[in-house]
Amino acid sequence: MADAISVIQPPTVEIAPRQKKPRGEVIVFGNWCKGCGLCVEFCPTGVLALDEADHPVVVKPENCTGCHWCDTHCPDMAIVVRRIE
Amino acid sequence: MAEHILDAHELDVDEIRIPRENWFESSETLQKLRKNKKFPTIWCAGCGNGIVMGSLIRAIEHLGLSNDEVALVSGIGCAGRMPVYMDFNTLHTNHGRALAFATGLKIARPDMKVIAIMGDGDALAIGGNHFIHAARRNIGITSIVINNAIYGMTGGQYSPTTPIGKQATTAPYGNIEPSFPLCELAIAAGATYVARSTVYHVLELDKYIEAAIRKDGFSLVEAVSYCHTTYGRLNKFGTAPEMMRDLKKNSISKAAYEKLSAKRQAGNSKIVRGVLHVNDEREEFTKLCRKLTEQAQGGGRQ
Ligand SMILES: Cc1ncc(C[n+]2csc(CCOP(=O)(O)OP(=O)(O)O)c2C)c(N)n1
Ligand code: SF4
Ligand code: SF4
Ligand code: SF4
Ligand SMILES: [Mg+2]
Repeated sequence: MADAISVIQPPTVEIAPRQKKPRGEVIVFGNWCKGCGLCVEFCPTGVLALDEADHPVVVKPENCTGCHWCDTHCPDMAIVVRRIE
Repeated sequence: MAEHILDAHELDVDEIRIPRENWFESSETLQKLRKNKKFPTIWCAGCGNGIVMGSLIRAIEHLGLSNDEVALVSGIGCAGRMPVYMDFNTLHTNHGRALAFATGLKIARPDMKVIAIMGDGDALAIGGNHFIHAARRNIGITSIVINNAIYGMTGGQYSPTTPIGKQATTAPYGNIEPSFPLCELAIAAGATYVARSTVYHVLELDKYIEAAIRKDGFSLVEAVSYCHTTYGRLNKFGTAPEMMRDLKKNSISKAAYEKLSAKRQAGNSKIVRGVLHVNDEREEFTKLCRKLTEQAQGGGRQ
């Protein structure tokens, strides 16, 4: 996750002035997740997507607002959001 | 704008509570759950039962109760599996008898927070009698009924909350029986705290479950959920996310409902979410029991 954050840091302010900082860090526990798709379907900012095996993957970490929709609605406690201050 | 944020505007601001920071990692129960060999649960992918379980865990954590102070009692059914996954005192009993066991437990251990988790069939069909009499006595049990309008575990037989006209394996031409309004039944029978929300509005459930556990008397939280595997499939309601979306669309907050005209209220077919009833007058049953015992012991020998 730390890598993902550093990757989106713009090299200079001029090149990517509107680049957002994520406000939440999302972790999916693969062996608990049943791939129901609720988190993907309802994440308001499109942070997650289902892969070919129907498992959620974080595709846009920078979009996470830390709203906790996904981790309070996951029926299998398989996703956790940690807020980034 | 985010769909669930729009929903938040329908609610009182006080009604929403953002989960405590890092609630997942700081929850001892969840940390234990994670190491528990019983995980993952038997529930179908996307079933609302697990969402209610998360809500219950957050409510107990928020109250600061130790695991030993809490007893979870359930019967049989998909909803009834819930206590199996958690590290509280648990009683997994016969179908329909959660409240019968919970009543015995509460009388023996009035100091305990006794929580009965039931399905709609469990609470209202086979267990209907226990339900109304527990409410009539106002015994200090918190009941959480996960209402998915069907017998989920046994393959989709209609329950006392299946709406008229809907398909079930035992109603291939559509159900013709009117349903029991769960909350109204509890209020009429004497429950002293009654609230309802849906698994979509899970942060409301957190608050209602917490208030219900606090309440010294018979309390009910109806958690409206869905069973996409049996009921949903038979009625072509689609996947879990689709049924989740329907809960959002087909429900209305109590505050918004009360603003409707009398005519529109009468015609309302949406699920009304909110605290529907509180009675602070009635005394709790085990307290009355103790008073009676003291009276009989003191008075009898004079
Ligand atoms: C005495 C008895 N009768 C019938 C059954 C079969 N049975 C098991 S679960 C169930 C109904 C479950 O429906 P509900 O309570 O709504 O729970 P859900 O599975 O929908 O969560 C029935 C009839 C049983 N186990 N015991
Ligand atoms: S909601 Fe939970 S179980 Fe469902 S896909 Fe997302 S992480 Fe997996
Ligand atoms: S916390 Fe909110 S924004 Fe972040 S991934 Fe979960 S649902 Fe999406
Ligand atoms: S059968 Fe229905 S109620 Fe039972 S686990 Fe599956 S979806 Fe949930
Ligand atoms: Mg049911």
